[in-house]
Amino acid sequence: MKAREAIEAVAKHRGEAVAVCALGMAANEWWAVTKGEDAFYMHGAMGFAASFALGLALSLLDAPIWLINSDGSLCMNLGCLLTEASQAPKNLKHFVIDNQVYQTVGGLPMVNQGRTDYAAIARGAGIPRARTIASLGELEKAMPAIAAEDGPSFTHLQVEAETGFLGTPPMTYEGPEMKYRFGRALEKRFGITVFGPQGY
Amino acid sequence: MPAIRESGGIMSVNESIHEQLKKAGVTLAASLPDDWVASLIKRIAADNTMRHVSVAREAEAITICSGAFFGGVRSVALMGATGLLTCTGELATLNLRHQIPVFLIVSQRGSIDDHRIYQEVQGRRTIPLLQAYDFPYHIVNKPDEISSIPDAYETSRLQKRPFVLFLTRKLVKGDGA
Repeated sequence: MKAREAIEAVAKHRGEAVAVCALGMAANEWWAVTKGEDAFYMHGAMGFAASFALGLALSLLDAPIWLINSDGSLCMNLGCLLTEASQAPKNLKHFVIDNQVYQTVGGLPMVNQGRTDYAAIARGAGIPRARTIASLGELEKAMPAIAAEDGPSFTHLQVEAETGFLGTPPMTYEGPEMKYRFGRALEKRFGITVFGPQGY
Repeated sequence: MPAIRESGGIMSVNESIHEQLKKAGVTLAASLPDDWVASLIKRIAADNTMRHVSVAREAEAITICSGAFFGGVRSVALMGATGLLTCTGELATLNLRHQIPVFLIVSQRGSIDDHRIYQEVQGRRTIPLLQAYDFPYHIVNKPDEISSIPDAYETSRLQKRPFVLFLTRKLVKGDGA
């Protein structure tokens, strides 16, 4: 399956989930498919979408938080799996789009390309609900159960390596505007206070 | 003057910092220990009104606090100066880029009274580095300065960027230690 197909299959079952997307391919593809403003699209801090999502999940315990991670980002911060396991948030689901290349920056191969069992690493870290899915049919069949299960869960999605420039444009806003659009969307949806009375 | 408990008696430094964090509305703390802040972390971890998250790398603490910001939760990242140096990339590309405030309490290692060779560079270069990024900081050197924490926290929110509150050796270890 292609990355876009995997993202579409996951997004179809997101329901009310708030997404946090790793920078690059994961963020661009999630935006292309959902156009969702109730998602945070990382533009930096590569590797730390997972930790950002964990902080959000621990703060909004009743909100489903879906992390759309990538293999390159996960490998920059594998320790996030230990932290995730130790906190065991029931509302957090971790998806990893594994295209085996650094697609956004030229398609060069991932370190240890094709030999890493990310689901085994997640299980080893203490996340028992971890699996690898390598075909679109299998993913479409599995998604209802994945969407319904308690977190923390870890779903490794093996997609085709697309080494050419995908050309998927990033979201049409950035920086502070992303902060305010995301924060205001969460305030509206959950009745929480992110910004104070003077707007900061 | 050290803080006095409502029930009488003098508060310890860690007790005062913990109390001031609560006064600032902090309910989540993410940490990786340095030996100067270890006892403060232990104290906070034992407080069941505050969610404590142990992390494997300091930048996790920064980004967990950033996520918590959007959940409407006030948080603190606790670490040593060495850890702070490891997360300047994340502080710049996430917090500075998106103007996301994050409040850090950091041991001010490498000071003139910290005679550990592996803390020497931290002592010389941490503050110039913060100045280069234009990250505000405040140094707490005496027990009666701990009450500045709620103001420092508010400044972090107001300036919409990382704010580092340094704890000196004199504060956390005392004069004679």
